[in-house]
Amino acid sequence: MLSTLHHPPRSLSRFLPSKSKTRSFHTKPILSSSHPIIEQPHASSTSPPQSQILSIRHSLLSRHVTATQLAESYLTRLKLTEPQLNSFLHLSNNVLKEAQAIDEKIQRNEDVGPLAGVLVGVKDNICTVDMPSTAGSKVLENYCPPFDATAVKRVKELGGIVVGKTNLDEFGMGSTTEASAFQVTANPWDVSRVPGGSSGGSAAAVSARQCVVSLGSDTGGSVRQPASFCGVVGLKPTYGRVSRFGLMAYASSLDVIGCFGSSVADAGILLNAVSGHDRLDATSSKQEVPDFTSQFVSATLLESKPLKGLRVGIIRETLDNGVDTGVKSAILGAVSHLEELGCTLSEVSLPSFSLGLPAYYILASSESSSNLSRYDGVRYGNQVVADELNALYEDSRAKGFGSEVKMRILMGTYALSAGYYDAYYKRAQQVRTLIQKSFKAALDENDILISPAAPSAAYKIGEKKNDPLAMYAGDIMTVNVNLAGLPALVLPCGFVEGGPAGLPIGLQMIGAAFDEEKLLKVGHIFEQTLQDCRFVPPLVADGFAQ
Amino acid sequence: MGSKGLLLLKGVAPPKKQSNYIFNYTRTRSSSWSSKTPIFRECSTTTATTSSLEPPDVPRLAETARISLSPHEVDEFAPKIRQVIDWFGQLQAVDLNSVDPAIRADNETENLRDDSPETFENREAMIAAIPSYEEPYIKVPKVLNKE
Repeated sequence: MLSTLHHPPRSLSRFLPSKSKTRSFHTKPILSSSHPIIEQPHASSTSPPQSQILSIRHSLLSRHVTATQLAESYLTRLKLTEPQLNSFLHLSNNVLKEAQAIDEKIQRNEDVGPLAGVLVGVKDNICTVDMPSTAGSKVLENYCPPFDATAVKRVKELGGIVVGKTNLDEFGMGSTTEASAFQVTANPWDVSRVPGGSSGGSAAAVSARQCVVSLGSDTGGSVRQPASFCGVVGLKPTYGRVSRFGLMAYASSLDVIGCFGSSVADAGILLNAVSGHDRLDATSSKQEVPDFTSQFVSATLLESKPLKGLRVGIIRETLDNGVDTGVKSAILGAVSHLEELGCTLSEVSLPSFSLGLPAYYILASSESSSNLSRYDGVRYGNQVVADELNALYEDSRAKGFGSEVKMRILMGTYALSAGYYDAYYKRAQQVRTLIQKSFKAALDENDILISPAAPSAAYKIGEKKNDPLAMYAGDIMTVNVNLAGLPALVLPCGFVEGGPAGLPIGLQMIGAAFDEEKLLKVGHIFEQTLQDCRFVPPLVADGFAQ
Repeated sequence: MGSKGLLLLKGVAPPKKQSNYIFNYTRTRSSSWSSKTPIFRECSTTTATTSSLEPPDVPRLAETARISLSPHEVDEFAPKIRQVIDWFGQLQAVDLNSVDPAIRADNETENLRDDSPETFENREAMIAAIPSYEEPYIKVPKVLNKE
């Protein structure tokens, strides 16, 4: 039970006490109940989310429902909600065919993979051989890669069905999807607001139950911030945990592929599917991948203080001025919930925390200026015809790239110019060392660290479009984790006022390198014991079983 | 030159207030570039630094980056880029003397595969993506030497 914080613990006494709120939903259902979606007989409006992947597997193997019926149900909901949301840039034509193939296998009593029948959305900067992959950019409009990214290949091998490619800020540069060359995605909780970015499409698609889970990418928070804005679970793995082969590079030392799900268990199962060393990615880690799916215990089997002894550090610098009161309130509610679960909470200070933001933008702009030099209109992508080679490069790039991408390339070019490398890029690398060390020290004393995922809830479309520094400021909670290469999980923990039914707020949990297991365990227990909070947006039919 | 050793500061010296703040931004919709309400805590270092680096020359950067910019774009981008680069400048004030630069997060070594060529199995799709192809060449226009 979320309790009211009457007496904040001593270590947190500098923060304001919060009151928890029970959310009631005023939803406008748009689907009738005749659609055969997975029904949980005992679901109430406040029961915790169940793993959809496990429910699907159970239903398919027990012949309760077919993969085709399931796919049709999701596609119907997708088509009904897409005009308002615009989560997808491309939709697969093969969904029903693939579902059919799974049904045939099941009928023949053949084994099917753990993701059989699961509809997966894939961010459009991740290469898929049977659908275009544009990275949200005109420079790659209609580009069809000749290969699948390793993460996509693994999803398919385990029976997953890629339903479509989701919208993003161009090449991952942005926090709202407003920088997509094609469309802006809306937040399912309030369609006048942004879903976050750059993986806004992937987050919105899972939030609106257009697909079961989705893949995104996180360079400075691009999975975690949209997860917070859309009220879904977002998991950023350790750098090197998931192969980057087929992920169009933005900043090679920071990029990771991450997972979205409507429950911690689903995000964990998807992570399990895509993790592991890949000989095609020299930065992919050889660290053993534990079975992330083995610890999703049912809430009814948990003892009374299931997280007893877990040391949780609240990052002081993330609850300072500049963070909305509503966000602080929601986080303190989460703190109180963690205490009830038996955690020991304390405040942690990370020196150099605030330097992470400029360091991140220097590194990201610099690396992107190099990574995006390949888009020159010669071997792929849109070409502007010219008489002379340099003009071909310059005009193809000028026409193909949006403003934000151009600016970041120019900033990166400046920072890497002869004479400036030491002043900017090298110094940013040194700041990275400081940040890595401070996280390591904090994680020696704590099992996990927590913070908000963003300083506010989802803001209105157009609100921050013209002010780059204002938009960059929103990344303060997330970039340091990328600099340190650590794993982080964001899960919805509360609400603030706004939109038809309130706006979700995500709690970020940060773990030690390669310790996704601990994050998933803690996240799962937190989620399953969180009372009176249900994170299904009003756009989706009420009564949709979790 | 005389004993004064003039440092010709083409670079914009960080505005007095700005070097003391980690971050400045306005919460309003107006896109003003002046520093307003400090949102984050003050930086612990208080030494103001003057930069001896040239400010970004946007047309020249565009040439280096092989992106053609219209004059309108140059006017639009230059102040924004300058503002962000100034903001980057706060790293100059930090003492980083004995700190090693970190190339990336991981510390694993020897992740390279054998340097032996493999044939990519889907050449047709690769070739289909080429805008201007005349078997077996990727066609590009002539190269002119710029002087």
